[in-house]
Amino acid sequence: MKKDTSHIRNFSIVAHIDHGKSTISDRILELTHTVEERDLESQMLDSMDIERERGITIKSNAVRVDYDADDGNTYQFNLIDTPGHVDFTYEVSRSLAACEGAVLVVDATQGVEAQTVSNALLAMNANLDIVPAINKIDLPSAEPDRVREEIEEDLAIPADDAVCVSGKTGEGIHDLLEAIVYLVSAPSGDENAPTRALILDSYFDEYRGVVATVRVFDGAIKKGSRLQMMATGDVFLCDGVGCKRPLETALPELGVGEVGYVVTGLKDPALVHVGDTLTDAANPCAEALPGYHEAKPMVFAGVFPVDNKEYENLRDALEKLKVNDPSLTWAPETSVALGFGFRVGFLGLLHMEVVKERLEREFGLDLIATSPSVDYHVFTTAGEMLDIKSPQDLPRPEQIDRIEEPYLAAKVIVPPEYMGAVMQLAIEHRGITKDMVYLSEKSVEMHFDIPLAELILDFFDQLKSRTKGYASLDYEVADYRPSELVKLDILLAGEEVDALSFIVHKDKAYPLARGLCDKLKEIIPRQQFEVPIQGAIGNKIISRSTVRAVRKDVLAKCYGGDISRKRKLLEKQKEGKKRMKQIGTVDVPQEAFLAVLKVDDDA
Amino acid sequence: MACCATEALWQKRLHEAGVSALYLHIPFCVRKCAYCDFSSWATSPHDPLMARYVNALERLLTEVEGVGLLNGCQTAYIGGGTPTFVGASLAQLVRDVRAAAPQVRELSCEANPDSLGDELLERLKDAGCTRLSVGVQSLSDSELAELGRIHSASQAQTRLSAAVAAGFDVSADLMCAIPLQTDGSWMASLAGILACGVGHVSVYPLQIEDETPLGERYGTSEPAFNDPEVQARRMELARERLVQAGFERYEVASYAQAGKDCKHNQAYWTARPYLGLGTGASSMLTREGYVALQSICPQFPELSDGVSRVRLTCIDGRHELPVARSMADLHFDLEFLSEVQAAAEDLMLGMRLVRGPEPGLVDHARKVIGGSAVDGTLVWCKDQGLIRKSGLRWTPTDKGWLLGNVLYGKMWDLAS
Repeated sequence: MKKDTSHIRNFSIVAHIDHGKSTISDRILELTHTVEERDLESQMLDSMDIERERGITIKSNAVRVDYDADDGNTYQFNLIDTPGHVDFTYEVSRSLAACEGAVLVVDATQGVEAQTVSNALLAMNANLDIVPAINKIDLPSAEPDRVREEIEEDLAIPADDAVCVSGKTGEGIHDLLEAIVYLVSAPSGDENAPTRALILDSYFDEYRGVVATVRVFDGAIKKGSRLQMMATGDVFLCDGVGCKRPLETALPELGVGEVGYVVTGLKDPALVHVGDTLTDAANPCAEALPGYHEAKPMVFAGVFPVDNKEYENLRDALEKLKVNDPSLTWAPETSVALGFGFRVGFLGLLHMEVVKERLEREFGLDLIATSPSVDYHVFTTAGEMLDIKSPQDLPRPEQIDRIEEPYLAAKVIVPPEYMGAVMQLAIEHRGITKDMVYLSEKSVEMHFDIPLAELILDFFDQLKSRTKGYASLDYEVADYRPSELVKLDILLAGEEVDALSFIVHKDKAYPLARGLCDKLKEIIPRQQFEVPIQGAIGNKIISRSTVRAVRKDVLAKCYGGDISRKRKLLEKQKEGKKRMKQIGTVDVPQEAFLAVLKVDDDA
Repeated sequence: MACCATEALWQKRLHEAGVSALYLHIPFCVRKCAYCDFSSWATSPHDPLMARYVNALERLLTEVEGVGLLNGCQTAYIGGGTPTFVGASLAQLVRDVRAAAPQVRELSCEANPDSLGDELLERLKDAGCTRLSVGVQSLSDSELAELGRIHSASQAQTRLSAAVAAGFDVSADLMCAIPLQTDGSWMASLAGILACGVGHVSVYPLQIEDETPLGERYGTSEPAFNDPEVQARRMELARERLVQAGFERYEVASYAQAGKDCKHNQAYWTARPYLGLGTGASSMLTREGYVALQSICPQFPELSDGVSRVRLTCIDGRHELPVARSMADLHFDLEFLSEVQAAAEDLMLGMRLVRGPEPGLVDHARKVIGGSAVDGTLVWCKDQGLIRKSGLRWTPTDKGWLLGNVLYGKMWDLAS
């Protein structure tokens, strides 16, 4: 008997920030009785604290709900949440690849906005059926008709079928669910073909090992299946399957078209890669699902405990984090200034921030992160090629023949009126514009090559601000190209501080050195003595600033009632000082080591 | 052996039930100054609340006298707000203090030039007030206006001279690093108060506090007039000028002619217990003092074993205090200090004094905190140039004065 997939709908919800994606997800869980209202912790799908606080999704998540439709049938909905940041574009693309449809949420008071456009494009590029939903119609300022027109004109999506909803009151959610039934295609696939399933995400469970979230395209997965991961070749015995509702519910099998989890029993999270294809070990499919590549760390930064005694704890914490974040890599690093720590590889700057924050919050560590760097290829005069991920490992200038740095092929989609701004931004970041294509009257796709090192600093933020948020950015690593790079050193009170060194293009070294010296002057508090700050290339000092000595630091009045207050003030001061790192005789706050990220803000 | 003898003296002192200083707080002013974050409120001179408030203080005074806390009390200080603003009631309060604490030999009142008339001077003198601390702040009319003061420079000088002539020990408060001030105007203010014949001067830099008009105006903008460099220079100019005029610095902000130093304020810096009455007033009591006060304050919790010192701050406002019939009706913030914390606090406060902490106190601290910790801290401070050893005493250097927070912070660190 042919397995019926006509009752399955796999979709994700996409929206501009704050347009109500999460509240709509919540209402769907509620209306389908997946979660009772009283148990509904607001925004169920974003489970990590940091995700909830920042309102971004970092990990993908798939929840199954049963919907009793008006036609009398019960449908299986798999709601797939996608990460929301450029660092995780790859994960987003894999999540969308698991869907047949996308609900595009637009705020009835705000209309189509920047991320509405970029998310709609992503969904259309993935060939998804789009269900437009106009949210917040309960608000007095809602203008559903205007928004409907915008959806048609700006996105070229037919909006006649757009559903008007209110995530807040629940109005229209039933209609939305009906629209999903009718507008999103049922999955197709061959239940008799060799198993073929896409890994969207994975997490680690102490008892069961790695658990992968998958979408089955062909065949089926059962407990006891011997499965192989096609990219890595590793084989495992499936220890159970199921779905999330949103708690894990075991199932006899995951059939064709279904989304759910697979217990791999594997103890090493690094073996399971997002985007890889699962197949039958004995009877593998002919071809893996398209689009796989390994999530490679792009950005490397030193991470050091403020208190060197915490080194072992930091390593333990990294190991524990890696279990749920296999993209994390690290190697020990020693700094004269900061002692023992690690050079950690991240997917991007946001990933770096999130990891640092998790290390500090979940493991109670006090950390210093140094300026991010990329992986440089340094060719020595002796004919060797060195992978240099940390400025302090750079050989001396006379030993260097040339340095090559990674370039990206970047793709920016933007309304035509911002083309000039984007080109200007690309030039400032050493980008080379290659071509541009009009996708429609309202959007242009621009291609250019740009050094990764430029992109990781502030390119994305700048792009968003100079295009008022309308640009979307996508990139992939293209190649390595030779560049005239130099190492900029920073000296505090005459001592070189290795953790502040930075590799930079020679044309940018002077302004950057000036900017850094000024920024550090702001960040480093006045000490009991004068602290000169110098920027140097080799032995040549190219910029200088000075933190003046503090001459007076006393609250002169201290009578009976002031004594407790005075003591508390001193304790607060001490607390602040404890978070600083003493380098030589200078107390340096943690943020000084990331000063390079803040230099351009003021320029 | 001398060491054991001083330790015995310290033990006795740290366990005295009675206080050596009494403070009374009057939280009323004609107008609140632009820098003031003290417990004070502007009101009309006819506000009946003021007399009721003073009456309440008198009731509380009688009550604490009854449990013997004031038996050995040496000094009293009526501060504010503006105590002189309550007029004749202040003189009555001075009489009551005299009656409740007969051993008091120095009795100070805080005064503002605008409410220190000849009649009040006479009444205060008759009542037994010995010392007046006059808030002058500046002798430039434009600077005074910036600070929100309601008196003129000439009024301040006239009243200072009158107070001196009336036979009081007179102190003037001056403030540096204030808006519009120049080095020249600062020197002129110093010269002006010296010309009035005062025997005591307190100088301190303006501290811009949150939730004051100045704080709102300048916020965290670090205005140039209040720059730490400016503060340091003005404090040094003041030292030069006052020393030249025959004054001796005895505390970081206090200068006096021989014998005119304020005994009351020194109690705060020399581990002497004190009792404060009134809105926002603080007390520091030994364990024994606390137990004595507990007999009329049943709301106080029982002391746990490790506590050797208690600091209490009255949190009842100007409206609540007048309706309190007795100490038992009042509310306090309580802070309990261990022997170690008390010793560290005493070292911290002792470092404000030119003569530094008593050698006996340092020995006592070495005993309770540990010799190596205390010596380590002292040597560190010496190496940093913050203190020096002169004879038996550790005394702050000029650098130690200016970087007091580093020095005091190090001392307080010994508590943890």
